[in-house]
Amino acid sequence: MREFKVVGIAQLAICRAPEQLACLGLGSCVAVILYDPVLKIAGIVHVLLPKAPAKYEAEEKYADTGTKKLARELVARGAAKERLVAKLVGGAQMFSNLNLAISDIGRGNCTEAKKTLRELGIRVVAEDVEGTRGRSAYLNAETGKVIVETAFSPTRTI
Amino acid sequence: MTDSSRGRVIDVITEFANIGAGSAATALSSLLDVELMNDATTCEILPLAKVSDYLGGAKQVVAGTYTYLCGDLRSGVLVVLPSDSAVALLEHLTKEKVQLSALNNIQLSALKEVGNICLCWYLIAVSKMIDVDMIPAPPDATVDLLGAVLDIPLASVGAKVDTVIAVHTSFKAIDRQFEGYFLMLPEESTLKLIMSRMGEPRQ
Repeated sequence: MREFKVVGIAQLAICRAPEQLACLGLGSCVAVILYDPVLKIAGIVHVLLPKAPAKYEAEEKYADTGTKKLARELVARGAAKERLVAKLVGGAQMFSNLNLAISDIGRGNCTEAKKTLRELGIRVVAEDVEGTRGRSAYLNAETGKVIVETAFSPTRTI
Repeated sequence: MTDSSRGRVIDVITEFANIGAGSAATALSSLLDVELMNDATTCEILPLAKVSDYLGGAKQVVAGTYTYLCGDLRSGVLVVLPSDSAVALLEHLTKEKVQLSALNNIQLSALKEVGNICLCWYLIAVSKMIDVDMIPAPPDATVDLLGAVLDIPLASVGAKVDTVIAVHTSFKAIDRQFEGYFLMLPEESTLKLIMSRMGEPRQ
């Protein structure tokens, strides 16, 4: 595998072919991936929580504001909004026996990201979300393909 | 917070976690009949994105047990074992061959219970020291990528802040290959309570 840039929690990154981006160890976090197949420009935002509160600093931390910011940044770099397609990875429930409201936040992250994408008019073309296992996602800006690795199951490409 | 008072907070929290980790390691020692040694506790203030790097990288496979304190003192607490140590622990306890990719119910339950015992001893020690009741949520365990294991703990404290306080104490066996670490992620609002109970003047 070629060199890739790691996108950590509450971070956003954009790359052009032939660069690659990666999110390592996604649990309940979701990697929202947007791709313009004509310009071969793509971006990832690694969100931790679903909805931004009234007062917040990091837009990249929340599924709603993070997804919007990613779309905005791609358009600012020349991508056409109507060509953008989305892929989602992550949103697992890591601790299913934990008796806390936050334990199923992965599902909330996915729902909020999808809702925001619908509002923006961006289609979700592929996803590998929810379940109970962590994932790593590797994005190739040349093809828009995302390789999804887990700790124990075989690798998938979406 | 000024730099010098922040330094003081770090010193006090480090001492606080040292006591907890010492008690937890003693419990684990007698449970496993292994002599364990604690390393010095370190306390770092890190952006959310850097926590897994600080702990050795998001991609490593670990066994993590997590609980969250939801009383006056609010904090996440974790026990983390690298995959080979988790296998060694489970094989020692269950006397059978263990494959982390396919743990059966008994093995997963054993892992959770060991984590539970460590967390309890950690909390008993710190709770006695500062005379505050600790109310932990029932713990849960999982074996997965470190980054994935940390997501829920970080989401719990990261809801309000963009940096977290990671208090880390590693332990290892003296005579065999077995190691791991305790990790405390206190909420910033809770630090004042710990400081005042540890005899520090009000900030």
